[in-house]
Amino acid sequence: MADVAGTLSVAAQIRLVAELRWRILRNRLRSKNSRFDLIGLVWAAIFSSFLVVGLSFVFCWGAYFSFSTGRLEWLLLLFWSIFLFWQTFPIFIAGFGAAFEFRTLLRFPLSLTAFYLVGLAYGLADFSAIASICWLLGIAVGAGIANPALLPPVLLIFLLFVLMCATVERLIGSWLERLLARRRTRELLVGLFILLSVSLQFIRPLITRSGSWSSAESVLRFLPYLSPFPPSLASQALAAATVGHGAAFLLSIAGLLAYIGVFSALLWHRFAAQYRGEELSEAAAPARIAARNTSRTDASRDVLKLLSPQVAAVLRKEFRYLSRNGFLLVSLLMPPILVLLFSSQFGGRHPSVTRTGFSPEMFFPAMMGYLILLLMTPAYNCFAYEGRGIQTYFTAPVRFRDVLLGKNLMHAGVMTLEIVLSMTMLALRIGLPSAPVLTATIAAVIFATAGQFAIADWVSLSFPRKLEFGTMRGQRSSGISIWVAFGVQILLAGICTLILFAGRWTHSPWLPAESFVALAAASTAGYFATLDALSGVAEKKKEVLIETLCR
Amino acid sequence: MTDAAIVTEKLTRRFGPLLAVDGIDLQVAAGQFFGFLGPNGAGKSTTIKMLTGLLAPSSGRVQLLGSDFSSHAVEVKRQIGVVPEGMGLFERLTGAEYLNFVGRMYGLDRATTRQRSEELLEFMQLADRPKSVIADYSHGMQKKLALAAAVIHGPRILFLDEPFEGVDALAAGALKALLGRMTERGVTIFLTSHVLEIVERLCSHVAIIHKGRLVAQGSLAELRAGTAGKEAVQTTLEEIFLSIVGQDGSGRPQMEELSWLM
Repeated sequence: MADVAGTLSVAAQIRLVAELRWRILRNRLRSKNSRFDLIGLVWAAIFSSFLVVGLSFVFCWGAYFSFSTGRLEWLLLLFWSIFLFWQTFPIFIAGFGAAFEFRTLLRFPLSLTAFYLVGLAYGLADFSAIASICWLLGIAVGAGIANPALLPPVLLIFLLFVLMCATVERLIGSWLERLLARRRTRELLVGLFILLSVSLQFIRPLITRSGSWSSAESVLRFLPYLSPFPPSLASQALAAATVGHGAAFLLSIAGLLAYIGVFSALLWHRFAAQYRGEELSEAAAPARIAARNTSRTDASRDVLKLLSPQVAAVLRKEFRYLSRNGFLLVSLLMPPILVLLFSSQFGGRHPSVTRTGFSPEMFFPAMMGYLILLLMTPAYNCFAYEGRGIQTYFTAPVRFRDVLLGKNLMHAGVMTLEIVLSMTMLALRIGLPSAPVLTATIAAVIFATAGQFAIADWVSLSFPRKLEFGTMRGQRSSGISIWVAFGVQILLAGICTLILFAGRWTHSPWLPAESFVALAAASTAGYFATLDALSGVAEKKKEVLIETLCR
Repeated sequence: MTDAAIVTEKLTRRFGPLLAVDGIDLQVAAGQFFGFLGPNGAGKSTTIKMLTGLLAPSSGRVQLLGSDFSSHAVEVKRQIGVVPEGMGLFERLTGAEYLNFVGRMYGLDRATTRQRSEELLEFMQLADRPKSVIADYSHGMQKKLALAAAVIHGPRILFLDEPFEGVDALAAGALKALLGRMTERGVTIFLTSHVLEIVERLCSHVAIIHKGRLVAQGSLAELRAGTAGKEAVQTTLEEIFLSIVGQDGSGRPQMEELSWLM
C-alpha cells in the first residue's frame, strides 16, 4: 500500500506557493523569445523600486508635515491614495488575463482555513501590496519622527489597515475572476474598461472648461463625506491617537475591525465556494438549443463574387472573428473618439474650446497619420487570433497569397470605414483642408497602407505571437514586430512630412498630391508583387507559425 | 506497388540534434485502412505532419496518389483530408461557419458547401447548437467537427490523428461505419491511435514506428505470422506491439522501481 501523505503547516504551504510563483516567472523568462521580456522586467523592477522608495519618502514627509503642523486632515489623503492604489492597480495589470490560477491549489490536501490564509498571503506578494506597505511604513516613520509616542497606536492601525486592504483586494480579485471566467462577460468588461479609460481623458478638458477643482484643497473638501469608509477610519484613529481622544480612537478601531470582519466573512464565503468546487470554466456555459436549420437554397446574392472563393472565405472568416471579438470591436471606437479628443484639445472652430487652434491644413494630415499609426499596428501580427486554425491554411489547397489578401482586404475595409468616420468628424469639428492637401493626404494614406501591408505580412509570418480573445493581460505582439512597426511608421511619416513640406517650400500646392498619387500607385503594385514571395515565406515559416499559434 | 496512395522514401526529420523521424519508407495501397502505431514520442505525429504538408521533411520524399508533395502541394492537398493533432479549428466560428469556410477553401461552390455542411452537422449530431462557437464545444464535439471538415470535400486520402479520442460510443460507432464505407469506395485512410483495439478492428494494414524508425509494416496477418511465441492466430495487436516495441527494454516502463507504490 502507498504511503499516507503527511501534514504540512500553513507557513510551509505559503512558502511553497511563493516558490511556485517564482519558478513560473523564471521558467517563462528562460525561453529564447523572452529575452526582451527579461530586459523589460529588469527595467520595470529598477523603475518600480525608485518609484516605491521615492514615494515612501513623500509619504514620510507628508505624515511628518501633518503631525508637526497639526493638519491631520492631510492624513485622509494619504490613506485614501494608498487604499485606491492597492485596490485598482492589480486590476489594471492583471485583471483581464488568466495568470497562475490560484484555485488549482485545491487539488492538494488543503483545509479551507489553510486555503483562505494561503490566498490572503498570495495577495500580499503582489506589487501593489508591497508598494502600499512600504508607503505605510513611510507614514509610520514620519509619525514616529514627529511624535515617537505615537508609534504603538500607529503600528496597530497599520496592521489593521493592511489586513483590511489585503482582504478587500482578494475579495475584488475573486469576484473579478468569477466574472471574467465567462468569455462574453470578459469581453464586455474589457470593452467597458477601455471606454472608461478613454472617457477619463475627457475629464481634464471638462475641468479646464469649468475652471473648478484646481487644487488639492478642493479635493480635501470632499474627503469628509467619505468618513464612514475604512481609509478615513484609519486616518481618524490616527488623528484621535495624536490628540489623545481615547474614545474616538477606540470607536475608529472598532469600525475598522467591523469592516475587516465583514470583508473577511465575504471573502471566506467566496473562497468556500471555490473550495467546494465552483465551476468557472467556459464549457459550463449553458448552450442554447435552437430549432434545426432546414436546408435552404442558396439564392442569396454573393456580394464577394468578384473575389476567388478562397479569398472570399478568408474575408468572411475575418469579419466573423472581428464581430465576435469585443475587445477589438471596442478598440475600433477608439480612433473617432481620439480624433474628437484631440480636436477638442488642440483644434477647433470654436475659440471657447481652447486658446490654441490649428489650421486644418496641418491638423488634418497629422490626424490621418496618427490614425494610420493606430490602425496599422494590428496588421503586424495578423495571425494573432488564429490559434490552432492556422493549420487549416496549410492543409487546405490554397496559396498563401489568398490568405494574406483576404486578411489585408478585411483590414483595409475596416481602416477605410474608420478613416471615413474620423474624416467626417474632423470636417465637422475643424473643417476640411484645401483640395490639394485633401488629395495629398488621401493618396498618402493609400501609399502608407499598401506599403506597410507587405512589410506587416512578412513580420506577421516571421514573428507571430498568439493573442487571446477578450484578454488584455500579456496581450502584446512580439518585441521585434513592435520595433519593426515603429521603425516603418517613423520612416513613412518622415517621407510624408518631407513631401508635404516640399510643396510649401516650392510653392507648388499640388506637388505633394502628385507625388503621393505616384507613390500610392507604386506601393499598391509593389504590394501585389510581393504576395507570391510572401507565400514562399509562409511555407518556410510554417513551423514557427504553427508552433507559436497552436501552443 | 502500382496503386499506392501513400509512398515515402527515406523520410527524415530532424529538430536540431534530435532525429525525430529516421528515413522511413512507407507504402500504403489505395483503399487501405492503414494504422500507424508507436509509443509516445516515437515520431507518429511528426510523420503525419510531413505527409499532410504541415511540416517540411529534412530529407526524403513524400508521394501521394502518384504526385510528389513538394512540387504539387496544392493539387495534392485538394485530394486529401486531415484531422491534425490539435484539430486545427478556428474556435471563434460556429460549427456551420467553419464547415462553410473549409468547403470554400477546398473550392466547393456555395450551394454544395452549405448542403454538405448541414448534412455533416446532422450526421455528427452537432446541428442543434447552431449559435455556439467552437470554443464552447466539448472536446468530443470538436473532434467530430474536425472529422466533418476533413471529409467535406470528399477526399481520396484521409489522415486521422487520434480521431476517436473523446468521441462518445454512439458517434464513434457511426463514424467507424462511415470510414469503413469510405474505404470500400476506394478512399485510403491513414489512422494513428493509441487504442490498439480500434486499430485492430478497423485497419487491414499496420505500421509501427519506434524512436523514429519504422520497425514493422504489413497486414495484421503478416505481423502475427512474424511474431514469435503464441499461436499466430490468437496473437492480439497489443501483444504484437508490445513484443516489437518492448524488445530493447526501453518501451515498457519498469514497475519494480515503484515498489513503494505496491
